[in-house]
Amino acid sequence: MAEKTVKAPMPGTFYRRPDPESGPYVEEGGSVSAGDTIGLVEVMKSFHEIKAEEDGTVSKFLVGDEEAVSAGQDLVELE
Amino acid sequence: MGGVETELPQARYSYGGDEFVFVELSEAMSLKVNFRAMAITNKLKEEAIEGIMDICPSNASYMVRIDPDVLHPDDLISRLKELDEEVGDIEGFTLESRVVDVPVMIEDPWTHETLMRFRDRHQDPDATDLEYAARINGYDTKEDFIDALLGSPWLVTMIGFVPGLPWCYQLVPPEEQIEVPKYVRPRTYTPERAFGFGGGFAVVYSVEGAGGYQLFGVAPAPVLDVKQELKDFQDSIVFPRPGDVFNYRRVDREEFDEVRARVEDKTFEYRKKEFTFHPDRSLEDPHAYNKEILEVLYGDQG
Amino acid sequence: MAIRVKQPGLLTTVQDTGRFGEYAIGMPPSGAMDVFSYQVGNYLVGNEEGAAGLEITYFGPELEFTESAVIAVTGAELPPKINGEEAPTWETLAVQEGDVLSFDYLKSGARSYLAVAGGIDVPVFMHSRSTYTLIGLGGHEGRALQEGDELKVGESGDRSDRVGKRVDDDHVPAYSDAPELRVIIGLASYRLTEESMQTFLNTEWTVTPDADRIGYRYRGGELEFVEREQPAGAGADQANVVDFGYPIGSIQVPGGVEPIVLNNDAVTGGGYATIGTVISVDRDTLAQTKTNDKTRFRSVGLDEALEARKKRRRQMAEIKEALA
Repeated sequence: MAEKTVKAPMPGTFYRRPDPESGPYVEEGGSVSAGDTIGLVEVMKSFHEIKAEEDGTVSKFLVGDEEAVSAGQDLVELE
Repeated sequence: MGGVETELPQARYSYGGDEFVFVELSEAMSLKVNFRAMAITNKLKEEAIEGIMDICPSNASYMVRIDPDVLHPDDLISRLKELDEEVGDIEGFTLESRVVDVPVMIEDPWTHETLMRFRDRHQDPDATDLEYAARINGYDTKEDFIDALLGSPWLVTMIGFVPGLPWCYQLVPPEEQIEVPKYVRPRTYTPERAFGFGGGFAVVYSVEGAGGYQLFGVAPAPVLDVKQELKDFQDSIVFPRPGDVFNYRRVDREEFDEVRARVEDKTFEYRKKEFTFHPDRSLEDPHAYNKEILEVLYGDQG
Repeated sequence: MAIRVKQPGLLTTVQDTGRFGEYAIGMPPSGAMDVFSYQVGNYLVGNEEGAAGLEITYFGPELEFTESAVIAVTGAELPPKINGEEAPTWETLAVQEGDVLSFDYLKSGARSYLAVAGGIDVPVFMHSRSTYTLIGLGGHEGRALQEGDELKVGESGDRSDRVGKRVDDDHVPAYSDAPELRVIIGLASYRLTEESMQTFLNTEWTVTPDADRIGYRYRGGELEFVEREQPAGAGADQANVVDFGYPIGSIQVPGGVEPIVLNNDAVTGGGYATIGTVISVDRDTLAQTKTNDKTRFRSVGLDEALEARKKRRRQMAEIKEALA
């Protein structure tokens, strides 16, 4: 199956959960539909939702929670 | 650049990059040092030196923005040192000023809601900002503190932070000055027109936003009117000017609402009078001089 | 003639050279953060200096032109695409009615500038078209662009003869992700211990996510203040001073841990000790750094700052001349 990735649109800090008290948006192996939020990127005092562009299963997170990301960096592998 | 010794408190002349000259007249605030900052910057304005873009008097310092392609920072500094000497200890210096009635509602519901929301960022989570400020300044009751706070008028010593925000220092002897620390961690929200206090300064927040000053109340009338709809703002979007004397006057909810209504229908105008301020008289006997100033403002009220 | 905003990007604002002469009422200048890229954009499309353009931050917008126009994209390496086809930067381009300008992911730098022949025609407020979002004035309705906005473009006449002009490669900046910013130490630098001043200058700082047109916050070291009995009016914290003016580019250290460089939309004054000021030329360099980049600060004297400024003026005059 062809693998797709979800990219960070902008540099910042990547978060896998909506807030420190909540669980992750999605776990590895979990399925997502197009438009589902898979994480957040924090930059310039605001948080931007990162959404899957198509349906699929998360095969791998390429970036850890709270890690620095650059624009265009692959965050998640979907299959 | 080191400090420059003068007979007066040591002034520090410093480059703020290549486009600013910053002069700290004193590390400590006092009415006298602010009068000096205003006297020097007023003289500088009169000289209309080419290459000066902004002249910003502040509390115990001032700052000048220049175009260094036109005016070399060192040339400006030389001139500023001369002006400093001319101003000396401001003997005989006068200031064309305005005395203004500024209504303020103490312990209003809006700032109360705000300060309760940010209790975790405050020195004393179990008291209100006003109770805390009264206690650490040695007042027995909150009402005694409010009486002192609103019992003497204030000098507008600096405008800034955001457009229109006036820093005000009370026209009282040094031993009567109120001093309150800022929040431990700044709030992310402050209502527009909040009446706050930090260090030795009272302020009216011109816009809503972050802030670290203690919150005591709210003013019904604005200090900033970007649309310039009110009469007081026809010449500038900002009402306060350095050198104004603000008399914060306590109003109840009824008068607060009444002023708000006049602001909303754009008929509000500050009660104000122009007068010539004599700093040396204020320094000599502030309370006596304050009475005269307030007579100028309210004398014809009948 | 207009530009229709199909997608606004992360933070796209109308900016020009800035709103000067209002610092004393607490009004920061706003204006393009990277003055060099913004000005060169105007040279490319033949605008008068000071014509308003768009400042595009980190992630580009999608803009539809409702009439043909002459444009240029300068600044960050944020590759522009016209109808999906990659287009060059630092070069004058023609777009036709219905063309859509979009951008690929940011490769280097942080801010791109879109210049349009005739300039972005928003109302002038206090002698500038620059957006100051904090109190919602200037620019397009005092805010960053939103989906569905329409921007008018000023009258330019036929500028089609400019299409294809490009900035000489020697003048196209390469943006480092670990630049050095030159600083004139001063202001209230006496508040820092000597050791901490050395730490400040020797540390490789990291740009935090809290980096915008108001200020850039850095992480990477701890600085200490000289212990003193706080003077009257300053407040109790050692980081506090009697509130004073902040120059653009000045550096403050609120908690001793995170230095902040103040930018074009910053507060004009406050009560935190400032320790120095980034020189004007290097504000352009700062504007092209982004979250997670590294930054070092190097202490220079006024002469070096003025020399750098002169050199930049000469370079800009040369570019303008070559594109005339």
